Amino acid sequence: MSLPVGHYQYDRIDRDFLQARIAEFEGQVQRRLDGTLSEDEFKPLRLMNGLYLQLHAYMLRVAIPYGILDSRQLRRLGEIARRYDRDYGHFTTRQNIQFNWIRLEDTPAILRELAEVDMHAIQTSGNCIRNVTADEYAGAAADELVDPRVHAEILRQWSTLHPEFTFLPRKFKIAISGSPNDRVAARFHDIGILARPGEDGAPVFRIFVGGGLGRTPIIGEELFDSVREEHLLATLEAIVRVYNAHGRRDNIYKARIKILVQAIGVEAYREAVEAELAQMNLERYRLTPEAVAAIRSRFAVPLLEAPADADAVLAEQRRADPIFDRWVRSNTHVHRDPGHIIATISLKPAGGIPGDATSAQIGRLADLADAYSFGEIRITHLQNVVLGHVRKDRLRDLWLGLAEVGLAEANIGLIGDIVACPGLDYCALANARSIPIAQKLGARFADTALQAEIGALRINISGCINACGHHHAGHIGLLGVDKRGEEFFQLTVGGRAENGAAIGTILGAALPEDETVDAIARLVDCYLGRREGGETFLDTLTRLGHEPFREAAYETV
Amino acid sequence: MKRPVRLEPGQKLVLTANRLLDGRTVWWGADGTWDLHIGRASLLDAEDADAVLARVVAEAQRDGVVGVYDTAVQAAVPPEPVTVREKIRAHGPTVHPEFAVETDQ
Ligand code: HEM
Ligand code: SF4
Repeated sequence: MSLPVGHYQYDRIDRDFLQARIAEFEGQVQRRLDGTLSEDEFKPLRLMNGLYLQLHAYMLRVAIPYGILDSRQLRRLGEIARRYDRDYGHFTTRQNIQFNWIRLEDTPAILRELAEVDMHAIQTSGNCIRNVTADEYAGAAADELVDPRVHAEILRQWSTLHPEFTFLPRKFKIAISGSPNDRVAARFHDIGILARPGEDGAPVFRIFVGGGLGRTPIIGEELFDSVREEHLLATLEAIVRVYNAHGRRDNIYKARIKILVQAIGVEAYREAVEAELAQMNLERYRLTPEAVAAIRSRFAVPLLEAPADADAVLAEQRRADPIFDRWVRSNTHVHRDPGHIIATISLKPAGGIPGDATSAQIGRLADLADAYSFGEIRITHLQNVVLGHVRKDRLRDLWLGLAEVGLAEANIGLIGDIVACPGLDYCALANARSIPIAQKLGARFADTALQAEIGALRINISGCINACGHHHAGHIGLLGVDKRGEEFFQLTVGGRAENGAAIGTILGAALPEDETVDAIARLVDCYLGRREGGETFLDTLTRLGHEPFREAAYETV
Repeated sequence: MKRPVRLEPGQKLVLTANRLLDGRTVWWGADGTWDLHIGRASLLDAEDADAVLARVVAEAQRDGVVGVYDTAVQAAVPPEPVTVREKIRAHGPTVHPEFAVETDQ
C-alpha cells in the first residue's frame, strides 16, 4: 500500500483504537437518548468526542493533525458536509474543520465515516492536549530549516490519550515550526516549539511556554533555547507535569499555563521543570534516532520532478496575464525546489464567510490536490488551504481550475484575508457577530488592486473575549462586545503573531457595529496618506505611534 | 444561575431550549409541546415564569430537550426576542438567509 504524502500512515493500533472509541461513544449516545445519562453526565463525554451544542444545532470539530490531509480525507469531509450537514464546512484557526448543523443521533455514523479515512474528533475539546498545529508550508518552504511534521506526529502520538494529561487544569495547545519565519504563532501557544538543525545534524528545539490569547493575552516566554531531540519528549512531559501539578483549578479564568508562568515567573518554572527532569526516568522518554526514523519512514516523500523550463514557463505566463500575476504575487510562496511553488488558496472571497467552503468546493479541492500536489492538502491557521508542491509550469492550470469554483481570490496576507471566529451567528458564548462585519470589510476592500496597494495588513475578529479569532494578534483587531443587548466592537492595532509577536493596543471606546467599518476605512486611509517609501501598515504605525490612528478612528464628520 | 427578571413594559417571557436529538432551537408552547417557531411560544408573565420553568425543566428528558431557560420577548405577533442572541436563535444565522426558520403562522 502506498503511503500518503505529507502525513503519517496509520497502523492497526490506531485503527482498532478508533473503532473501540466509536463503539464506546455510540453506547454513551444510546444511554443519553434513553435517559440513563443526564445532560450533565453526557456533556463531558460528547465534548471528548468533539461534539458541542451551539445556538442552532450540534457542532462537530474534526481534528486535522498538524493541518495536513490527503485528498481521500478531504473528499470524505466534503461528503460528510453534504450528507449530514448543510453542504458546507468551516475551516478554523486551529487547522481543524467544524460542521455546524450536526444531529446527535448521526454522530456515531459520522465518526465511522471519518475513521474509514483515519480521522476522528478526539481531543478537539476538553482540558487535554489539543490537536498539535504546525507550519502550513512544512516540508515545502525554501526558508525551512527542519521539517516539523515528523516531530508534530511524535507529539501527536505522545499526547493522544496520555493518561496523565486527560484532565489538565485547562485546555493545552502546542504549535511547532521549523522555519525562522514563525508561521504558527509559536509565542501565542501554551507551548510553542521552533526547530532548527543542531551541530550533529539532529534538530534542536527552542521552547516557549505560557503564551495565549483569550481574556489575558500573554506572549510566551523562552523556557529553553536548545533542547536536544533525544530529550524533547522528556522535556515536554516535565513542562506539562509541572502545569498539571501547580496550575489553578479553582478559577477557570486563571487555569491556563500562562497564568502559572506569570505567577511564579519563567525562572521558577524552568527550575521546576529541571527538578522534574532530574527525577524522571529519562531513558523511558528518550527519543532515539531509530524511533524518529521509524516515524519518518511512514511519511511518503514527494518526487519533485519538473521540466527544466518550468520557471521560464511561469514567468512568461505571468507577463502575459496581469490578473494571474497578481494572484501569484499574493498567493504563492517559494518552494525549496526551484521547479515547484507553494500555492495558498484563499477561503476569503470578497463579502464571503472567512473559512467556509461548500461541499462542491471541498470536493474540487481534493481533485485539484490529486492533479497538482501529490494528493496532499494543508489547512492554515489563517483559515486558508495550501497545495504544497505545485509544478511551476502547471500553476496557471491550477489557478484556472480554482477560478471555476470561486477559489481564485488574490488576497493572501492582504486586508481581504480576514480571520473571523463563528461569533454570535453560531456560537453560544458570543457577544457579537463576527461574520457579518468580516463580510462588510471584505466587500469594502474587495478591489484586488486596492488590496495590493494597501499591502500586508491582517484583520482578526473575535465575537467575545475568548479570542478564537486571535483579535489580539491582528494588525487590526476587532473584539465584539455587548452593550445593553447591542453589538459593539473594540478596535486594537499593532498586534502580530509572526516574528516579533505583539499584543494589539486598544484604541479607545468600543464602536457601534454600524460605525466600525467606516472607522477601519479611516484607519487605512490614515496609513495610506502618511506612509513613507515601502512601509507596511505596521511600519507606519510603529513610526507614528497610535495617536494619529486613534484620531482617525474616532473622527466624526 | 438565575438572574432576576426585569421586564420592560410590553415584554413577556418565553421558554426556550435545544432539542436533544438534533440540537435545534425550540420554544415552549401553551399546549406543552416544543416548536421550532417562536410564533407558537407561550407568553408568560414574570410572576408565573419560575413555576412553569421548574415544571418544564423536570420534564425536559421526557420531552427530548436540553438546557431549558426563559428569555424576554416583545409581546407582539409573532413575539420577538429582546436580545440579539435570542433573535438569532429564533430566526437562524443572519449570514445564511436560506437557513432561516420560516415564519409560517
Ligand atoms: C464555536 C464554538 C467555540 C467555542 C465554544 C469556543 C470556546 C473557546 C473558549 C472558551 C476559549 C477560551 C479558552 C481559555 O482562554 O481558557 C477559546 C479560545 C480559543 N479558541 Fe475557541 N471556541 C469555539 C470556536 C473556535 C474556532 C472556530 C476556533 C478556530 C479554530 C477556535 C480557536 C480558538 C483559539 C485559537 C483560542 C485561543 C487560544 C488561547 O487562548 O490561547 N475556537 N475558545
Ligand atoms: S471568540 Fe467567542 S464568539 Fe468567537 S468562537 Fe470563540 S467563544 Fe465563540
